[in-house]
Amino acid sequence: MPDQLLDVLTTAAILYIVAVGLLIVLGVLKIINFAHGGFLTLGGYASLIVSQLHWNPWLAEPVALVAGTVLGAAVERIIVRPLYSRPLDAILATWGLSIVVVQVITIAFGRGVQFVRSPIEGAIPLLGTSYSLYRLVLLGAAVVLALAIGAVMHGTRLGLVARAVIMNEGLARGLGINSELVRFVTFSVGSGLASLAGALITPLLSVDPLMGVPWLLNAFMLVLVSGTSLISLAVAAFVLGGAQVLISSYGNPVLGGLTIVVLAALILRVRPLGFARG
Amino acid sequence: MTSTAFGVTLRSPARLRMALLACCIVACAATVPVAPARAAEATVKIGMPIGLSGANSVVAPSVVQAGKLAVAEINAHGGILGHQVELSVADDGSGADGAVKAFNTLIFQQKVNAIITMETSAARNAGLPVVARGKVPFIYTSFYEGHSCAPDLFVNAWVPDQQVAPVVDYFMKQKNAKTFFLIGSDYAFGRGMLGFTRDYIKSHGGTVVGEEYLPMDATDWTPVLSKLRAAHADALITSTAGGAPNVTLTKQLRGAGINLLYGNLAVDEGTAKAMGAEATGIYISQSYLTSLDNPKNKAFIADLKSMFGNDTKTPNDLSEPEYDGIYLYKAAVEKAGSLDTAKVVATLPTVSFNGPRGTIEMSKEHHARLTMYLGQVQPDGGVKLIATFKDVDPGNQCPKLK
Amino acid sequence: MVAILGVMALAAVAAGPYLLDTYSVNILVRSFLYGCIAIALDILWGFAGVLSFGQSAFFAIGAYGCGLAFVHLGLSWETAIAGLLGGAVLAAIVAAFVGWLAFGHGVSELYVSVVTLVLTVVVVQILYSGGDFTGSSSGLSGFDTFDIEIETWFWITGAALVLSAALGWILVRSDVGRLLVAIRDNEQRCSYFGISGSGIKILVLVFSAVVTSLAGYGYAAYTDVVAPDLGGFQFGTELVIWVALGGRGTLIGPAVAAVVIDFISAYLSGSLPFIWQLFIGLLFILVIVLMPQGLGGAIASLCRRLWPWPMDSPGVARLAAVRADRIAREHAAPAIELRGVARRYGSLRVLEDISFVARQGELVSLVGPNGAGKTTLIRCISDGHERSAGQVAIQGHDIGRLPPERCARLGIGRKFQTPNVFDSLSVAESLRIARARLEPPSPWRRADEIHLPEAALRVVRATGLDRSLTTTVRHLSHGTKQALELAMVLAMEPRLLLLDEPTAGLTKPERTLIGAILVDLVANHDLCILIIEHDFEFVREISSRIIVLHQGRLVLDGNVEDVVSSELVRTIYVGEQHALRETGA
Repeated sequence: MPDQLLDVLTTAAILYIVAVGLLIVLGVLKIINFAHGGFLTLGGYASLIVSQLHWNPWLAEPVALVAGTVLGAAVERIIVRPLYSRPLDAILATWGLSIVVVQVITIAFGRGVQFVRSPIEGAIPLLGTSYSLYRLVLLGAAVVLALAIGAVMHGTRLGLVARAVIMNEGLARGLGINSELVRFVTFSVGSGLASLAGALITPLLSVDPLMGVPWLLNAFMLVLVSGTSLISLAVAAFVLGGAQVLISSYGNPVLGGLTIVVLAALILRVRPLGFARG
Repeated sequence: MTSTAFGVTLRSPARLRMALLACCIVACAATVPVAPARAAEATVKIGMPIGLSGANSVVAPSVVQAGKLAVAEINAHGGILGHQVELSVADDGSGADGAVKAFNTLIFQQKVNAIITMETSAARNAGLPVVARGKVPFIYTSFYEGHSCAPDLFVNAWVPDQQVAPVVDYFMKQKNAKTFFLIGSDYAFGRGMLGFTRDYIKSHGGTVVGEEYLPMDATDWTPVLSKLRAAHADALITSTAGGAPNVTLTKQLRGAGINLLYGNLAVDEGTAKAMGAEATGIYISQSYLTSLDNPKNKAFIADLKSMFGNDTKTPNDLSEPEYDGIYLYKAAVEKAGSLDTAKVVATLPTVSFNGPRGTIEMSKEHHARLTMYLGQVQPDGGVKLIATFKDVDPGNQCPKLK
Repeated sequence: MVAILGVMALAAVAAGPYLLDTYSVNILVRSFLYGCIAIALDILWGFAGVLSFGQSAFFAIGAYGCGLAFVHLGLSWETAIAGLLGGAVLAAIVAAFVGWLAFGHGVSELYVSVVTLVLTVVVVQILYSGGDFTGSSSGLSGFDTFDIEIETWFWITGAALVLSAALGWILVRSDVGRLLVAIRDNEQRCSYFGISGSGIKILVLVFSAVVTSLAGYGYAAYTDVVAPDLGGFQFGTELVIWVALGGRGTLIGPAVAAVVIDFISAYLSGSLPFIWQLFIGLLFILVIVLMPQGLGGAIASLCRRLWPWPMDSPGVARLAAVRADRIAREHAAPAIELRGVARRYGSLRVLEDISFVARQGELVSLVGPNGAGKTTLIRCISDGHERSAGQVAIQGHDIGRLPPERCARLGIGRKFQTPNVFDSLSVAESLRIARARLEPPSPWRRADEIHLPEAALRVVRATGLDRSLTTTVRHLSHGTKQALELAMVLAMEPRLLLLDEPTAGLTKPERTLIGAILVDLVANHDLCILIIEHDFEFVREISSRIIVLHQGRLVLDGNVEDVVSSELVRTIYVGEQHALRETGA
């Protein structure tokens, strides 16, 4: 039992970290950034570079964050801005971008699967069982990230302005808020967070040009089910991630991988707002 | 001048779009080759469809290096029947879908004379129909689950009948293991190997307390490891696709603090070395180890180093048979006196090659008798030899073939 | 025209194997199948507006149908047909289920893309978990299959592609094709014409799924390999990319794009696979951002500019009067009956306790200041989901929670406040759509005669629409669009007409004409008309009855003179102070 509980918590944490960047982009820009998986992959390769240069493995996270933010800024100006009025086309264009990112990475690094050492290795005894320390670190990271974003959203002027744009962009602009700037900053930060997530999960799994795709689908479904609320995202990650762990453990692990997307699709059909209040 | 499509008014002038259109057409036209490539008259082409991406991408570079070494050596000594040899590598994505494309490209576009390669079973099974249609000899140099039979297919690596017994016997007799947990990748190889293992364990008095599979490309073993912990087995035996799944499974195993007796039927020395400290203690059963003490092996390793310098990948049980396979092909062609497939296929079971693994001959129903070695991975990445089994018979893999 | 091009294409296919080398023939067999799928996807997406990433799932179902049949049942004519039908039927069932999920009432249009994406994941995972039955990661390969030469396969798949293109072309040029475009551009409007957009989209999805599964069957029979990747997300999105590059809504563009890109990819898969994929990705982004109509669309408009091709202009439509007077005259039930209808948004009450009855032969004007709730009331009458409380009965039938298309079938015709029309269709095509429920459109012809009831004909002729039958609606003036919408609604032959400011933007003579038409409809054709208007003169001239709404409540319901001279009305419209001043208080 304690094993399962820790599995559920850490899985939910990982899903949260991966999905939070996508959520804030959806909230402010009202588009789904299908390049999210590409940015995640970028973060993974940033981690690989850090490891190949034999730097401190913890540097991977800041490197990834910066790289993702910079690239995200460029993408927002060139691709996302013209498509503001065509959300379905924005999905397609960002998916095209994802393909481009993957191909560039493949050209630069080759298409093979590569590995990165974990900054923290080993397991610690917890709740009567020994559990992977790195996974627990990720749980902590998710909590820190959630609190940080929450603090920015509710405690700073930028957060206030962002929330205004989320609620009613037309009105916000009418009140003099530069919504273009808000969108620009949000997209950059969202992409940066995606890359950060990539760097964080790489030591657990592996790095290859296509690593982003399964994460994109799960994050995408979680975000749709959460609406625009960070708290709903945490709830969704816990409920759906937990369901995935339980079905994988007690049932068939292959079908377990389906749990998040199928449950989310069904929830959205029944309640188009998902877990969000309103 | 603006124009509207799908309700959107485009600001870019029509001329920009014309130019874009023209560029696209020109680019497309430029990339389509006018005439397909014809095989140059004086070379023998060997095709290598291999997993440059996907699960096998971790080991593929070492196999390509072994192939290139063999080809370079053969060319330096006059080639095959006086023709220079050329190696043609194509990515099969480690899977069925990619294999269809790779095999088609090699056999029909590049018109190779033979396919000599290591692949996942998914890729091999998908490539066989293309081989049958294209009529080229196919020397499969990877260990696999056995019983893959075709008139043009030859195997110079081990099958379960040769490999499983040393590990299980050692665990049961020397380590008193009675209960076993099996983990594998869900495809022909994983299921075939573990199916054989399960039967072997049961027929020798042991019990299998768990058997779990994940798809070849899966990277998250968490649920499987939870079940492993709950089962409290004495020993773990795994058979995942060679390469990435081995690494992710072992990493997560060690990350979860699991340290029971661990026999890995599908890991090669190179991957084990790359895994570093996490691989310590794993038992492997192979037909090739870098520590084999014979002059041919020492020469092989030295030649690899001088050809590839710092980029040399550790030779292993998946790459060395590639080297053997190319030499076996050379021998068969020279004995047949021609490159014609029918003639080569007739002589392949009768030729032999003396290489780093000793004398290899694919004479038992298109499979080879092999000497097997049981070893344990050491903290420094090397493999300690525990036992040797000479000339193990592969059993009746293809009774219908002679 | 189609026949000539079709024969030429078939001739090219026949000559193919003699001009091309074996490798190219080998690749093109597969490419042709992909072309068929691209055509099906273009009909689904480019014409019906359903963005489906999941066509690969149907492809895999068809392919595995073939593989499973041949592996587990052996090779024979019976098993071959069983595999073919099994795959097609399963694909149809899955598509129907997905359509039911995705096209329900109130579901966002993003959802269909989401759920088709999820479908690919589900199908692939199911295939992976099938153990020995489906071969899991290995898939199934090397099974006995039809013993046909490569050249013959080439002819089969090439002919299939030409046939699909020809049939598809006929379909999209027909009235059904125009209906699909109407649903894509303005599904809401179609529902108010009694056309069930969801029903039709489900049909199109099922149809495209079946075609795709047949292509999958062919693929499996030819390549002798089926693997789970066939159904995956990668292939599904690749199909969308091909259709977008080729030009959605052009049919031929996507087919050509699919064949060409697949062919070139096969050649480059050895030498420069990454640069090629990179190029495609960049091209895709450029096309989406700058040229959403795709390369095919751009070429088509280029051609249209250089040679005005007769193929493109629809046959000049003629208008004709509906022959019989279909309107029956006997009813016991009133046209509308409202009891206690309310509409609330949280604590905001837009309508409260509205009850009244209107009969056939009445022309009721609904007046009241802005924000009184008039348009909301119209919405509550024409859409069963809209109201928060109360009952609405049309011709004695309680509308309950019926969606607009079902209400429309009860005889309601609704004209919107701002012109709600089909921007990319022509005037004639729009009128044809309005008639669709009464005269089902043909999937292979475009009717050259449009039957309109007399009232609609009068509107069309009087406002000059009959001289611009081939003009695209987007290019009409605001007033003309109003007139067109009125004509379309009249073309439905409604029993109850709900008009929301029908004369806004019309000239005085046009207004008089419309007024005359409405009065005539009520007097001689026994319609019931409910009209929202601000022009008091107009209201006085034509109404038999006036209902006054104020702040969501019905404050007055009576004949014209009573209402016009009422104190209350003056107060409502003009304000308390003004009214007092006028009465000299």
